[in-house]
Amino acid sequence: MKVKLWGTRGSIPSPGPETIRYGGNTSCVGVTLSDGSMLALDAGTGIRSLGNALAAEPARLHILLTHLHLDHIQGLVFFAPAFRAQTEIVIWGPSSPEASLRDRISRYISAPLSPVEVRELPCDVSFRHCPQAEWEIGPARIRAASVAHRGPTLGYRIDDAGSSLAYIPDHEPALGADIDTLEDEWISGLGLAHNASLLIHDGQYTDDEYPDHLGWGHSSLSHAISFARRAGAERTLLFHHDPMHSDARLDELARGARERWQALGGDPSRIELAMERAEYELPVHTALAS
Amino acid sequence: MLIPTISKVSNVTQKPLELILARNLMSALSTPAFLVDEGGVLVFYNEAAGIMLGKRFEELGTVGPEEWGSLFGPFDEAGEPIPYDELPLVVAVRNGRPAHANFEISSADGTHHSVEASAFPILTAHGSQGAIAVFWPTASNGSAS
Repeated sequence: MKVKLWGTRGSIPSPGPETIRYGGNTSCVGVTLSDGSMLALDAGTGIRSLGNALAAEPARLHILLTHLHLDHIQGLVFFAPAFRAQTEIVIWGPSSPEASLRDRISRYISAPLSPVEVRELPCDVSFRHCPQAEWEIGPARIRAASVAHRGPTLGYRIDDAGSSLAYIPDHEPALGADIDTLEDEWISGLGLAHNASLLIHDGQYTDDEYPDHLGWGHSSLSHAISFARRAGAERTLLFHHDPMHSDARLDELARGARERWQALGGDPSRIELAMERAEYELPVHTALAS
Repeated sequence: MLIPTISKVSNVTQKPLELILARNLMSALSTPAFLVDEGGVLVFYNEAAGIMLGKRFEELGTVGPEEWGSLFGPFDEAGEPIPYDELPLVVAVRNGRPAHANFEISSADGTHHSVEASAFPILTAHGSQGAIAVFWPTASNGSAS
């Protein structure tokens, strides 16, 4: 499984010279499975570059949306494969008692917010609510579970060829909870992240910023680190950077995260702040992959 | 970047998020509150409930259906045990509707408390995940059971 970060920013695109290294595009992670098939995790503005990088040949693509906040769907109408008739796109996302996934996404891909409507997209696009039970896409087993954020929101776990990726970009597991002492089963998202080869997790706020954003659905760095420690993930990427955090500020936060990780007994090389265009390869374990 | 990994699987069975959030909310309340899962297992009660019962949840742990219904009573005005099926929390989780009742419970030290209890189901996009009951103590008569 190969993972490439196409957008690591939270909330709103934040381009500019001060964000050039960590990136200004909003959430999107490309995942190439062991059979070469492709998933996109979220469709923030980063998905535009992902789409441009894909070959213009017939393809079936799966887009797994964690939720429908704008920073996770804004790139959909700028995703080049959606404008190719030979492309089949399956969009997965959370169900809601209020409206179908298609109808909720159509509120964005429609006038006056969009020049095109969903029905006008040349590709073959379908919308599916994520099931409660694990399902398969190609060689991968996919698990989705509701996590603590505002509104219906999912985290994902992808197991393929013996490696696992947990993706929980918008998450506030410590809201009203002491995640250092609670039992594992009572911590939002921990079942998804447990023992993951790679955990991509919300780390939007500094500890000083968090009290002013309590209940907004995001983690402080300390909470994200506590969560990652509890999860036992082999490597953690702190993700969904606050748009106010410059590269210099994120460098400081990365240093602080490594120090805290080490103070808790972890290998400091196993935690980092997600950087746009960074690539990771999770090796195949043939015994489990067969 | 190649990530060397040791293949592992997640063996954490996660509670439904709605139960997690309910527990988090209940933990912050000063009103006694109880939480059961979809199978009727008592999975949590808060500190205020622990004070009323004379036993903290951490001391008791999860309690299966039927069993928790008899741990602390409850009794009707005549002192007769109330059938498990008629308890508001059981009505809420089994029938998926709110329920309300007045009854007495007996705490660990034998003190009786008169309470009003309101229970409601936790309904989600995937069906019922359990129920919450909130107790309103109306009197404590101090009598021993």
